[in-house]
Amino acid sequence: MTFATKTRTLLTALALTALGTQMALADKISILTEAPAPAAEAPAEAVIVNIAKMKYEPAEVTIKPGQTVTWINTEAMPHNVAFKAGVVDDAKMDGAMMKKEQSYSITFNEAGSYDYHCTPHPFMKAKVIVE
Amino acid sequence: MVESGQKPRLLRASFVGAGLTCSLLAFSAAWAQTPAPAEGQPPAAEAPAAADATPAATDAPAAADAGAAAATAAEGQTHGQRAAAEAAAALAAGEDDEPVILEAPAPNTRRVYINDSAHFGSLTQQFVIDTDAGRVIAITDSGFLPNPVLSDDGSVYAQVSTTYSRISRGEREDYVEVFDPVTFNPVADITLPVEAHRFLVGTYPWMAAVTPGNSTLLYYQFSPAPAVGVVDLEGKAFSRMLEVPDCYHIFPTAPDNFFMHCRDGSLARVQFDAASDAEPQITHSAVFHPEDEYLVNHPAYSQKTGRLAWPTYEGKIYQFDLSSGEPQALNTIDGLTAEERADNWRPGGWQLVAYHRPSNQIYMLVDQRAEWTHKTPSRHVVVINAETGERIARHELGHDIDSVAVSQDDDPLLYGLSTGARTLYIYDAESGEELRSVNQLGHGPTVISLSDMN
Repeated sequence: MTFATKTRTLLTALALTALGTQMALADKISILTEAPAPAAEAPAEAVIVNIAKMKYEPAEVTIKPGQTVTWINTEAMPHNVAFKAGVVDDAKMDGAMMKKEQSYSITFNEAGSYDYHCTPHPFMKAKVIVE
Repeated sequence: MVESGQKPRLLRASFVGAGLTCSLLAFSAAWAQTPAPAEGQPPAAEAPAAADATPAATDAPAAADAGAAAATAAEGQTHGQRAAAEAAAALAAGEDDEPVILEAPAPNTRRVYINDSAHFGSLTQQFVIDTDAGRVIAITDSGFLPNPVLSDDGSVYAQVSTTYSRISRGEREDYVEVFDPVTFNPVADITLPVEAHRFLVGTYPWMAAVTPGNSTLLYYQFSPAPAVGVVDLEGKAFSRMLEVPDCYHIFPTAPDNFFMHCRDGSLARVQFDAASDAEPQITHSAVFHPEDEYLVNHPAYSQKTGRLAWPTYEGKIYQFDLSSGEPQALNTIDGLTAEERADNWRPGGWQLVAYHRPSNQIYMLVDQRAEWTHKTPSRHVVVINAETGERIARHELGHDIDSVAVSQDDDPLLYGLSTGARTLYIYDAESGEELRSVNQLGHGPTVISLSDMN
């Protein structure tokens, strides 16, 4: 095997690995933007979950595949949306922290029940049901 | 697992022979303290450590004289001076130096373990101290924010610890390490799976515990969800995680039962089967404190009696008897008088409360302080009858003390650990008189652990 072939093979493997990871995540969910967005820019069609007084409200939402849920933090305490390993991917997924009046949106592509929590506040728990 | 030939974690010292005088003196300067501060003199730990090495002890020609003096060691002579005199005498007598690896004496009620979490350093140490002698008798190494765990019979000394493949980065590995309490060789090294990683936090003693009978070690996991890890000490293997409610700390009362304190202000009882994957049975007590009463992170718990003493920021002390497996609320007492509270007296420090089981007395670090300075050290300890709440004594400790503990014998020693001075001060618990001290305990020692072997 020539050096060039070796390099190409390696690059292809790396690319496939990266793609595989992306696809595994993308299969179940799609994240609109990695960074939080201003609350005012939440997608019009999104199902809204507000965060206030250390709680997700409502704590359970039911949507259809392809629908988007947008979380809006309404208080100064930063919060996020995080999934344990095995929920949306083999690895855990910690969403970006939202400050006050920031939002974070996830499109759920597959039917299922998705438990989530806030990373620094593990007692904040809630669920998205996709059916 | 431990392999033969692994470097044992214990002091290596040779005390015989002039050739080792320098290392001996270095050792004595580091660890030895005067048994008691001389009248009118500051405690030894206040003085530079090098002061322990007297000119007589460092002067080789005077070694024989020093050896003679050792036979009649004067009161107030340091351990280093005695050891130097003994070495000199051995040299004068023509004895050969035979370096050996020492063993520590058997654990007893006067042994304490000092945890130096080193202000969140990646590598840390535990100092094992004979507090009768005021000497360090062993040191164990550990990783990031380890939790030392002791059994009441003194036979189990373990650490729940964390290391990384590149000091403070790279692959993380959590593990439970169990040491022989005499040789300090590790006798078990149990890796915790990634999903069972522990809570990395400033050391709270009751974030890990060994169950009565020593069969199981339990430790807390904060993220991604509250859980308690079960480690089989007999089989030397990680067992499983128990999902628990939003509760913190672990107070075992039986091999299959422990209590936790919950965010809602209740206690949770957790019953589990160590031998199966069955879900734990969890019940809650009534809420016992209002939301605006803040319970400190370092309650005192006597595993032997199930007695839990838990102060608030303002010095109120909630008490429970957990021994029956049901949380029985005992009388809530005030550790401070109304006059003291009006005069800004509040508890403060790290491990700020201790419970003396034989006398049913509570020791609590207090000082005059502003609200929200509850982690600064205190210069006083109040002694309280846990049954009646009656004040028995208030001792001025003479130092900024962060953590307090008391030996569980009938004539107890009171231990005051200063994180800033890196020194353990040892007092007579009844009189509050300072007896001796041990300095140079790492970078920022915070936690005192001991066994209730009485």
